[in-house]
Amino acid sequence: SCFLGSLSLALSESDSWGVFSEQRESIPQYRGMAHARISAKLPPDIDPTKAAIAFGERALPKLNEELQSPELLTRQRALMALCDLVHDPENVYQAIQLGFLDNLKYLLLDHDSTVREKTTEVLYIMASHNVGRDGFIKYGVIPALSQLLNDPVDICRRNMHRAFEIMAELPRGAVGIVDSSLISSLVLKLKTELDEIQELILDTLSGCLCIEAFEALATGAVSILKEKLTHPSVAIRSKAARVLLGISVPLEGKNIVWDEEVIPVLVSLLEDSDPEVRANAAGALMNATITTQGKYAALSADAIPPLLKLVDDETSKVRLNAIKALTMLSEAPEGRKTLLNHVDLFRGQLNDSSEAVSRAAKIAIKVIEWKP
Amino acid sequence: MLPARNQEAMAAAASGTYSYCSRPRALPARRRYREEEPVRYANLMYDRRVVRGNTYALHTAQPDPLEIQRQREAHRKALARKRAKEQHQSRTPEPVEGRKHVDVQTELYLEELGDRIIEVDVECQTDAFLDRPPTPLFIPAKTGRDVATQIEEGELFDFDIEVKPMLEVLIGKIIEQALLEVMEEEELANLRAHQYAYEELRNAELAEVQRLEEQERRHREEKERRKNQQSQLLQKQKETSEKIAARAFAQRYLADLIPSVFSSLRDSGYFYDPVERGLYYFSFFFTGTCKSTQSYFLFSQSLKQVCLHLQKIMLPASCSQGHLKVRIDVLIALLSPVSQDI
Repeated sequence: SCFLGSLSLALSESDSWGVFSEQRESIPQYRGMAHARISAKLPPDIDPTKAAIAFGERALPKLNEELQSPELLTRQRALMALCDLVHDPENVYQAIQLGFLDNLKYLLLDHDSTVREKTTEVLYIMASHNVGRDGFIKYGVIPALSQLLNDPVDICRRNMHRAFEIMAELPRGAVGIVDSSLISSLVLKLKTELDEIQELILDTLSGCLCIEAFEALATGAVSILKEKLTHPSVAIRSKAARVLLGISVPLEGKNIVWDEEVIPVLVSLLEDSDPEVRANAAGALMNATITTQGKYAALSADAIPPLLKLVDDETSKVRLNAIKALTMLSEAPEGRKTLLNHVDLFRGQLNDSSEAVSRAAKIAIKVIEWKP
Repeated sequence: MLPARNQEAMAAAASGTYSYCSRPRALPARRRYREEEPVRYANLMYDRRVVRGNTYALHTAQPDPLEIQRQREAHRKALARKRAKEQHQSRTPEPVEGRKHVDVQTELYLEELGDRIIEVDVECQTDAFLDRPPTPLFIPAKTGRDVATQIEEGELFDFDIEVKPMLEVLIGKIIEQALLEVMEEEELANLRAHQYAYEELRNAELAEVQRLEEQERRHREEKERRKNQQSQLLQKQKETSEKIAARAFAQRYLADLIPSVFSSLRDSGYFYDPVERGLYYFSFFFTGTCKSTQSYFLFSQSLKQVCLHLQKIMLPASCSQGHLKVRIDVLIALLSPVSQDI
């Protein structure tokens, strides 16, 4: 939208010079004497929905004051102007120094939906900068944002979840989200939210699970994720598999995954058309089959043939996860027996382009050919 | 007058030197500020009233009768024109007697005419401590009169060449803005790609670590179990050997025990043949009764009967009874001489 704005600015600048001279001829009072107001036509880049931005250093302080104004229109216009300014990280830094975040936290609970939408959008753009994220953690914006979890307007919730997603990619941010005990509410929201927002929640969860998985497990996340694995949308399937990958890292997670019989569903996902889904499903299997019961569950679900097919896949992540999963399975005697016939397939991957894949293949061959 | 004299002089001096379409005349000086007052002084050089040329040669020739006639005609024409113009001006008829013409407003809305001009006071004051508003775009107003000329295409400038720098600036700015936006997105995409690759590696390594841990745990447990088994085995072996040793010792110890016990028992008279003992006691009883009874013979006969009866009973029995039988025979043998004695 900025691009289009600049284009229209350029075009209107180029023809407005001609228009000025014509207009000045046509308006009688301009004949003869100079006048303070140059033209009846306003400068081309005035957007009536935005507040006027003061010059230089005063821009952000003035917007700060306008944000606290009791009049709705002033606040809305100030927020629109702030949205544009906040793309620049220097402005974000200055804004945080001036204490914008407290005002924005207060505005999150405003009655007007436009104000809330724009506030969440500003917070989301701030979160995409590192200074913004630090500021969030320092000023405790995450609990304030979480008050909007049940907001009736979709856009507000979507922006809020986008902000959470970006925060979850940073370890400290993920710690912040976990500390605000948001995980249980996020997991419960998975059942009721729109698809778009579900994708964002799944991404947030996969970031937070690196820090702590027990809360999610306690809320029954695994059963919810099992349903999501069979969702028609590809993105949701792949993200749900990724979350399962994360959740099956601790031992309780692995046991619960075995308990809920998620492993056969994962095996069926190995033949999905999207490479991301296959990669994440293979990864989740890789983690879930570390326990002995997981291994036997996978073997009984007949996981080996699809995994063997995936060893030659184009995406390196799929190959890596498939080789690792087969390594896990080959530690069980039945698995080793079956895989001894397919060792050549692994030898073929020894010279793979990705270093991780060739290392994994070496380890796999070593494990398969191990004699007790 | 002057131009006429001039003309005369010129015509007189050199007839036919100049010919004009329009006679040259001095232009009046242009007033800048006031239109009403007539021109007082103009440029001396072009002033009509200044006598030009030969001053001593003027007024010598008679005015040309043709010229005079032309002048008169022109004068007459001017007068006629003026009269016609005055006639064309419509005058209102003269007022009737006793009346006077008065100017009256006939518009719909009457205006009050008066000397006093209506004034309205208007005041304006900017707010205290208002921020200086942004400077409006200032383009100075054009002064002077417009003059149009016709410029053919290509005369002034070549558009295609001139527009290039401007276009470059415009396009440059547009592309710069677009590049900034694209760079922001690309930066984010780059970061995402890095994160993706890192996550892939991390998951793989984590799984490997856990697998090795699990393997280690299994091996360790297996070792523990086998060690336990082995130690139990050893324990059992030890116990068994101890038991065997103990049994062997006990057997050896007890081997002598039984004969010695039996011999000591026998020595102390615990093993006895009850029949013999019975017979032994019976012999005492017999001798005793023998002494007491008179009919010794009767008694011995009855005793023989008893023994024979006993023999009959004892015959089918075992060899110990065989002993008994032998003893009974012995007894009978013993008794016969005794009976014979009696």
